[in-house]
Amino acid sequence: METATAKKTNKKDYRKLILEGFRTHVLEYGTAPKSIFKFAKELKMKEEEFYTYFTSFESIKSAVWVDIFDETLAQIEVQDVFKTYSAREKFLSFLFTWIEELKKNRSYLLSLYGEGSKSMIAMPKEVAEFKERFKDFANEIILEGKETEEIANRPIISDRYDEAMWLQAWFVLKYWLDDRSPRFEKTDAAIEKSVNLAFDLMGKSAIDSFLDFAKFLYQSK
Amino acid sequence: MAEKLKEQQAIPVSKVQRAAKFISTGAKVGGNYVKHYAKKMVNPSMDKEELHQNNASDIYNSLSELKGSALKVAQMMSMDKNLLPRAYQDKFTMAQYSAPPLSYPLVVKTFQKHFAKTPEQLFDTFTRSAINAASIGQVHQATKDGKIFAVKIQYPGIADSVSSDLKLVRPFALRLLNMNERELDHYMGEVEEKLLEETDYILEVERSREISSECAHIPNLKFPMYYDEFSSDRIITMDWIKGFHLKEWLDTNPSQTSKNQIGQALWDFYDHQVHNLKKVHADPHPGNFIVQENDQLGIIDFGCVKVIPEDFYEGYFALIKQDLLMKEEELNQIFFELEFISDKDTAEEQSYFKGVFKEMIGLLGRPFHVDRFDFSDDGFFEQIFKLGDRISNEKMFRKSKQARGSRHGLYINRTYFGLYNLLNQLQAEVNTTKPDWLK
Repeated sequence: METATAKKTNKKDYRKLILEGFRTHVLEYGTAPKSIFKFAKELKMKEEEFYTYFTSFESIKSAVWVDIFDETLAQIEVQDVFKTYSAREKFLSFLFTWIEELKKNRSYLLSLYGEGSKSMIAMPKEVAEFKERFKDFANEIILEGKETEEIANRPIISDRYDEAMWLQAWFVLKYWLDDRSPRFEKTDAAIEKSVNLAFDLMGKSAIDSFLDFAKFLYQSK
Repeated sequence: MAEKLKEQQAIPVSKVQRAAKFISTGAKVGGNYVKHYAKKMVNPSMDKEELHQNNASDIYNSLSELKGSALKVAQMMSMDKNLLPRAYQDKFTMAQYSAPPLSYPLVVKTFQKHFAKTPEQLFDTFTRSAINAASIGQVHQATKDGKIFAVKIQYPGIADSVSSDLKLVRPFALRLLNMNERELDHYMGEVEEKLLEETDYILEVERSREISSECAHIPNLKFPMYYDEFSSDRIITMDWIKGFHLKEWLDTNPSQTSKNQIGQALWDFYDHQVHNLKKVHADPHPGNFIVQENDQLGIIDFGCVKVIPEDFYEGYFALIKQDLLMKEEELNQIFFELEFISDKDTAEEQSYFKGVFKEMIGLLGRPFHVDRFDFSDDGFFEQIFKLGDRISNEKMFRKSKQARGSRHGLYINRTYFGLYNLLNQLQAEVNTTKPDWLK
């Protein structure tokens, strides 16, 4: 039993060590290491040992994204007021906290995804896992929004709302990477305005009433 | 009374109405840009001349529809064509007013950034939504240990956008005011400086304290206390001033004595600041004043404070001496000093503008020429608007490319207009005190 827990913590530490090591390498050299062999050597690990934790640099990058996301959720849940928020406010709160977490890794993110690299035009593959987790979170918000009628239930379209929110989070990230304003205040404004727009679009609006009316006229002819 | 009411309604006074006006202009100007770029795609050699002309005429149309509003008066009292800085300022604040309120998560985040605590951790209670909109932020109500506070939070990114926003209007301003660039910068610089100051909440607290303590002796005035431990450069916490806004208070039908008392407190407040402190709360708009029980006047929001330079002060106020209108020599000198006329003017222009300014000064200085002035006299205001209209339509005035009037005049004029307007709204009769050297 004892050995099992010891082994477990040991395992976790290695994972952490690799993540830390990768971040430091990117921060110092501006790019990912040349090869796993070199990187493992840097960490004083055997290459095959390395593969028990990660199998590629991509999977490391992916783990960084997921870690940031988990940390964000943990931060949010500490706030008592979060539970009383509306769906709109919950999403706002998530984005604000997320940006705070990203801030701790800004240099790392800039080296990998900043201006110079083209990888931001298409979404990099390593965010796939983060995206799945994010969508789960977004769907919770959407479900809640539908219950409170903040979000209108529309056939076909409303199934894609999680995707739309993902794109929005991605937009915020890109905006923040380019933001040069003190304390990233412009990003705060961008989050505020874009979320308001998104929720106004998702909410019940004149268009819904119009479609409903048009449908009625068509059917009752 | 009925007639008076109608007159007031005819002038678009409320912020909303003026905002609506500017929004429609904004839309037109936007349209002009679209048209411009569409044409440019077809004909790349086209320059921006046409665009500017379209913009300028749309803005000008919109401005001239705002007859009688402070805008028109500001244009005239500054004895100049510098209406745009004022117009632009209105537009700028308007944009902020129309901005939707900050969401509560952003308020929380702002608090965390500055105090590393949430509003709930800092106060006993804190309202989730804003109680009031301030010009560049919003106000929440909070309580702690039985005390009520007003907490003002600035919109993020405002400070950063002032300069770029002003750059945006520069081309319109050039076209519209028919000025050359150097002269325009002369005014724009002043506006930019003041707007940037307004975003500096630390400075605001400092000045609020200074002016409130200097004015503490004036009867019937009330100032809030400010709390450093809950303030930063984006958040200001002060005492909550209970009472009515000026408009609401007037709706309660206060007696003439009450109105005079409030009016007098206002006059004394400005008189002391301008003539003794040489530093003035340059934003006398109704939202910054609150009437409390027993006709006490609460003053909030010292975001815009103009420091009056000594040499400007002397020249400017020497003009309101009644007998000065007679002394040609002295007057000429003051006009030169205040940059109303310059060597660049032709003799014809000089004599024309001197005539214009004398007429305006005679009219605008009128409250200073008597010991007690009745601001409920709408006839007086009517005369001012008419004169302004007449002059701005005169060829000679429109043709001149000179910027006229010292940059310091911009905010001093605005202050006096605001004050006259407030007193007119109050229908108050006040003792128009003035320093001894002006008597």
